[in-house]
Amino acid sequence: MSGGTLVDVAFWAFAVAAVVAAWLVFRVDSMVRAAYWLFASFVAVGFIMVLLGARFLGLVLVLMMAGEMTIMAVFMVMFMMNPAGLNPMTMVHQHRTAIIAGVVAFAGLAGVGLVADFPDRPVAASSEPTAELGRELLGDSMLVFETAGVTLLATMIASIALAAKRGRFGDAAAGSVAPELDPEPPPPDPEEQAGHDHHHDAAGGKEAGP
Amino acid sequence: MSLPALLVVSAALFGVGVYGALSQQTFVMIMMGLELMLSGAMLAAVALWAGATGGNPKGQLLTVVAMTVMAVEAAMGFALVINIYRIRRAEMTEKIKRLRG
Amino acid sequence: MSWASPLPAVALVGAVLTAGATAVTVLDHLAGARTAGRPVRLLPAVGRPAARSALLLLTRRSATPRTDAAAGALAPALLVGMAAAAVAAVPWGRGVAVADVDDGIVLVGAAFAVVMVGVYLHGWSANSPLPLHGGYRFVALALSYEMPLALVLIAAALPAESLSIGAIVESQAGMWNVVRQPLGLPLYLVAGAGLAFWGPLDVADASDLAGGTAAEVSGPARLAWAAAQGAVLTAVAVVGAGVFLGGWHGPVLPGPAWTALKALALLAVLAGAKHRLARVRLERFVVVAWAALIPLALVDVFVSGALAL
Repeated sequence: MSGGTLVDVAFWAFAVAAVVAAWLVFRVDSMVRAAYWLFASFVAVGFIMVLLGARFLGLVLVLMMAGEMTIMAVFMVMFMMNPAGLNPMTMVHQHRTAIIAGVVAFAGLAGVGLVADFPDRPVAASSEPTAELGRELLGDSMLVFETAGVTLLATMIASIALAAKRGRFGDAAAGSVAPELDPEPPPPDPEEQAGHDHHHDAAGGKEAGP
Repeated sequence: MSLPALLVVSAALFGVGVYGALSQQTFVMIMMGLELMLSGAMLAAVALWAGATGGNPKGQLLTVVAMTVMAVEAAMGFALVINIYRIRRAEMTEKIKRLRG
Repeated sequence: MSWASPLPAVALVGAVLTAGATAVTVLDHLAGARTAGRPVRLLPAVGRPAARSALLLLTRRSATPRTDAAAGALAPALLVGMAAAAVAAVPWGRGVAVADVDDGIVLVGAAFAVVMVGVYLHGWSANSPLPLHGGYRFVALALSYEMPLALVLIAAALPAESLSIGAIVESQAGMWNVVRQPLGLPLYLVAGAGLAFWGPLDVADASDLAGGTAAEVSGPARLAWAAAQGAVLTAVAVVGAGVFLGGWHGPVLPGPAWTALKALALLAVLAGAKHRLARVRLERFVVVAWAALIPLALVDVFVSGALAL
């Protein structure tokens, strides 16, 4: 895994870009920017993979993420109350726990990476990673490959069944509780009827908070 | 571009992902955190493939599996978000405290 | 793999993209004149790119409030960059390539996929409803043409038994892919027109949206966007010439000349299609793409694979 100075410079540039872009995903207010910062992080990771010799995987990662992150941006605009981020707002909970968990995860994994003694067997410069991957996918590991394919097919069917507005037997939402214009109050339950007002106030108060 | 440096970078991506997945309230933002965690895992897999296994193609295979997981996560996540929004008008975790349909 | 040194490589790719974008404007003008029954004169057409650029450079820049300026500047740059990456992977003659990487067709696919990001960002950046609408239209269009595009490129790689575009051109020495895989080039051109938001698939920048994603930009920014569209069209034509029309193979003339001529021919076809065919409605195209184009592309892959065995 040795390379010239240029490769080292490129690696550090992409590494810093990947982590900073990942951090910015949760710091920007505009949801489209958040989605595309994540895309930038993936592109940097893909380029590092290319530098490491896994050219096919890196390029496929970029190809896949371009579509996925655009869909993500569209979803954010559809579902979020302030997609353009024109009014700054934070939508986080358990912030301190999350920071601690993130730092602990980083420290633990980075510690393993720094301390563990991995064998030093770099990939041969003359190897053809793409051809080897192809032979592996359609050779020894064909079962894994086929399982992944069937899993993706099942995912396609399941996600269409979940997301489709109309099914074979009519409206997919038939029988479910009609959505209210005010999203907060839950559908009235007989046993909760007494405490309903109180519940509504509490929820409203929470939303007005920071 | 040494193996420890690569693993530290992938750990940083994973850590940011953990932070995002735990701290965000919107479903789509939580998915972004999950994707970052997978991104860190994939980078670590490729780094170990290139540095410690002598180019064993099973390392690349592991990354392909991680990409499949990512695609499944995204597709099912989006489908569930649409479904929950249609039925409950909820786009945040706090709005689906009641799990009973 | 063969690599050019950085400076000549950048100069070459830049020259190809500039020449391509100029050719797009000239051919567009000529095809428009021919379709409208006006006299087809070469000299005014050749002067048109310069005149149009000068006009746009002198036009005042318009501005909408609270634009996403970074995204607006990034969008044309992304398109040009991705077009450059795709053009760089195509060899011009045997062993004459900027970067004939061994995963060239995957690189081209990735570069073409990122175009979607650029166009959506362009529509998003203006902070105005019509451009945003154009951006959404392009996302729906792109998700539909992406699969046929990827499949026909994979099918073209099958006879070559390689993902390198140099090897794909080499494999067409006896018979070009346009003959061997009759479904390939038509599907590729449909997807390419969508990719470059051009002609019958110009739904993102359509005139029924007052210019779509470009509705709010004028002056130099408009010029940059037009140049970006020309660059993407050039990339579509150059890749198509290499992958389907046999690249450098041809009698008498040297290889690079053949590649350039074939790319120009594809540009002429696309320019003619823009003026001859009516714009396709997006919802109909989406249905056609998923119900007809993807199955046809799969047939292309299966037949090519069976023949390659």
